[in-house]
Formats: sequence, C-alpha cells, structure tokens
Amino acid sequence: MSDKLRVGISELQISEAPAVLVTYGLGSCLGITLYDPELRLGGMAHTLLPTVRPERREPRPAKFVDSALTLMLEQMLERGASRERLQAKVVGGANMFASLSPSGDGGVGARNIQAARAALEQLEIPLLAEDVGGHHGRTVEFDLASGEARVRSVRGRDKLLIL
Amino acid sequence: MTFNNLTEGQLDALKEISNIGMGHAATALSQLIGETVQLRVPQITVSDIADVPEKIGGPEKIVVGITLQVLGDARGNILLVFPEDSAGQLISRLIRQPSLDLADEICVSTIKEVGNILASAYLSALGSLLNMTLIPSIPLLAYDMAGAVVDNILIELSEAGDMALLVETEFHGVNPEIEPIKGHFLLLPDPHSLDIILHAVGGQG
Repeated sequence: MSDKLRVGISELQISEAPAVLVTYGLGSCLGITLYDPELRLGGMAHTLLPTVRPERREPRPAKFVDSALTLMLEQMLERGASRERLQAKVVGGANMFASLSPSGDGGVGARNIQAARAALEQLEIPLLAEDVGGHHGRTVEFDLASGEARVRSVRGRDKLLIL
Repeated sequence: MTFNNLTEGQLDALKEISNIGMGHAATALSQLIGETVQLRVPQITVSDIADVPEKIGGPEKIVVGITLQVLGDARGNILLVFPEDSAGQLISRLIRQPSLDLADEICVSTIKEVGNILASAYLSALGSLLNMTLIPSIPLLAYDMAGAVVDNILIELSEAGDMALLVETEFHGVNPEIEPIKGHFLLLPDPHSLDIILHAVGGQG
C-alpha cells in the first residue's frame, strides 16, 4: 500500500514515489500538479481563486493559482527537481451551477483555468494534460510512482479518467 | 469586524434568531411533505473555509445542493444540502416519482422549489425579527460531490478571508415507519453583512 496524502482546500503538498497525493471534491476549484518524472517527485495544490492581490500579504499562498504555482515550483526545485523536466496537469474549474444560470461565462472556474494556463506559460512549464470545465465535480489522485493523475467523477461523462 | 472576534453574547443572539428562522423553515417543510419535521437547535460556528465540506458529510459524499443568494439589507448565501437518498425521498413524497432524476425538469424544479420555500421561510422570519428586508435569489441546484457543490460559495467567501460563519442545522422526519429525510441548512453571511446583522440584533460590533 502506498501512502495517500490529502491535499486540503488552499493547501499544497510535495512528495515522492510511492506516495499518492489526493484532493477531493473539486468544483470550481483547481487541482494543479507538477511532476519531475526522473526523480518521481511531485506536488499538488488545491486552489480557490485565480490571482493573489499584490497589495495584500497572503497567509495562504496555495489559495491562489499564481502564488501556489510559484511556491510549488520553488519547493520542488529545493528538493532537487530539474526545472527542464517539470510537467504540469490541471484538473477542475467546473461551473457547478452553470446549466441553470443564464450568464454563461463559465464563472470563477473558467477564470481559474485561464489563470493556470497563463501562469504555466509564464513559468515555461509544459501543460501535459488537463480535465477542466464542465458542470461536474472531480476528485484527483496523483500517483507519484507513475505520474498518472486519476480523475474520478460521479456526474461527468467519464467516471474515471487517467491523465 | 471579523468572524474570529464575535462575543458569546453576539453568538447567542445569532443563535436565537436563527432558531426562530429555522423553525419557520421546518414548519414549511412539514406542511409540504405532510409529516412532522424536527429540527436540531442551530449551531453557530466559525469555521475554516477548508473544513466546511466535512460539515456536510465529507467532500466526496453525493448530495443535492440548492443554493440561493441572500439579497436586500444584508448579503450572503444559503445552502441547503440533502443527502442523495433524502432528496429522492422528498421527490417521491412531493410528486410521486420514484427517484431523483436530473434530466427530469419537474424533479429539478420541485427540489429547487423546496429550497425556495425553506429559504424564504427562514429569511422572512429573520427579516421581520431584525426589521430588515431579506430576499432570496432564484435557487440553483447541483447534484454532485459535496466538496464540489459548496466550493463556489467558499470561493466567494475566500475573497474576503479564510473563515466562514456557519449557521447550521439538521432536520429530520419523526415517523419511524418511513425513512427520515435529513438535510443541512447553512447560512453563510458575507463578512461585511455580519456587522449589519449584529447591529440589528443589538450586539456590540
């Protein structure tokens, strides 16, 4: 049995194989993973909002997509990851109440997805795969032995999706 | 005003008005399903946003959530959460359908209407106690993992801070012959509106 490490809301965890990082019940929130396949070292963050407000000192950097990614990258590099090898996956950003709301702009979920893509591009980390948007919740298990992100849902089209 | 430094007296006042408001909501539900519905005395908790999914059964529990915005003199969100089987029970008693089917418009609008009636009963009691105008928005429904159902509201709250004030109660039927209907009723006031509410209650801000 491998250890399952739970990543709570506004949290970020770094670990290595054989650990499995897991975050439950993502709606509009995002689960963002970074992985160094050679060291089998990876991190996952569960973020709520797109961008940190610069004028505020933020006690929980993992709450925001941009600051969570910066911090996760920093911690991965500290543990010996190579920046060139890093790859990212992004899950979540749904609009849970969209099908019933008239303003079809995708809401905060869509803004979260855009923020993640932009931040990864800026950090020059390739976005290997994503399962985002839609109107359903997701649970992600990030297996550090393989780098696989297993996405479970109850209402999505796929009950289990391997990224 | 932050959620962290509420006094005992203020919490008691919130509890009292919530008790009355929730009582009205429970009465409305009793009349809807034609059965006595009992209510647990509401709990007022100040909780970390990250812990809210645990309070409604854990982030992966499958629930039906109905969310309404509170509009008017104070702002916030109301979230009603029914476990899957209780939502099915509600449906079968109200419209004689065997189970909850999201593809069925009548089903969805029935559940939303239940949310609307409960929220309106609560808000009108609260409003008349506090001498405020409180109106519910159109109800929205999601049928999914509890974590995913609440995170929209948590995101909204988290723009202001990391804590949520929860007014929480559970209601359940009392007929031992029938499987009880259970649910959670959560009121999450916006941090700015808490001042307004406390002022109306008479607590010191």
